[in-house]
Amino acid sequence: MKDILFWLRRFVMVYGIIMICTFFMCLFFNPTSELLVVSFFGRIIVFTLLGMVTLIVYHSKEELSPRAWWCRTILHLVVLEAVYLPLAHHWHFWYGKLDAVIYASFILAAKILWHLIDYGISARTVSEINEKIRKRRREQSKIVVG
Amino acid sequence: MKLTVERIEKEEAVTVCCHDTEAAWVQNVREAALGQITVCGYKDNVLYRLRLSDIYYFEVVDGVSFFYTQKDVFTSKEKLYEFESMSARSALFRCSKSMILNADKIDYVRPSVSGRFEAVLSNGEIVIVSRKYVTELKKSLGI
Repeated sequence: MKDILFWLRRFVMVYGIIMICTFFMCLFFNPTSELLVVSFFGRIIVFTLLGMVTLIVYHSKEELSPRAWWCRTILHLVVLEAVYLPLAHHWHFWYGKLDAVIYASFILAAKILWHLIDYGISARTVSEINEKIRKRRREQSKIVVG
Repeated sequence: MKLTVERIEKEEAVTVCCHDTEAAWVQNVREAALGQITVCGYKDNVLYRLRLSDIYYFEVVDGVSFFYTQKDVFTSKEKLYEFESMSARSALFRCSKSMILNADKIDYVRPSVSGRFEAVLSNGEIVIVSRKYVTELKKSLGI
């Protein structure tokens, strides 16, 4: 159950990030575009699922060192670009070379946004843990002094 | 508070009945009890008995197990799962695929860009806590 909730949360986060990026892409570069709603949402779901499959790049039997993590992150970005760009082109989300560069930039921005959100969530967890450690220390020192 | 001490012939055990399992006096009893549990470690082919409460972390590297105390490193014949079951219900928790960390030795924790956490220990060492196991750390701290 925990694993299902974990992946569900990830799905919602990735879906949200893709929607936000799509919104800004259309806002800046094609504000008058018209989309068929059902097929658009369905394609975003496919994008989200594909994006989650690419996370397999991070899978490892051993714990990744910071250097290994960075290597895998760059590889993941390359895989994302390799998966999303052709599919987006096939679905007429972009046409010429300039469009491709813009689309690739948004994929990079989405990945950076993902990591920023992740860091923010970690920072919140950390402050909770550190507060508990400090509280324990205070109680310990009270007992020692008492 | 009632205190009962009973002499027995079987394996010694400590049971604490309390309202708050994270109360400071309960932590002190836990540390005192853990201090009685020892493991064997080897250094320069000499066998040492190490108290569980003195162990900072246990790590397996290339199939070899190591105990880390404040300043020393000892090799061990215990496997990860064996040490994990031995140290269950103590301050030691699984923090990654190959490491068991003593939560009582953590000074503070900080986030890492990789989505994991860095635990800074009281001897200055930094250990990575995997996201998957951070709930174990929270559980051992009573969060």
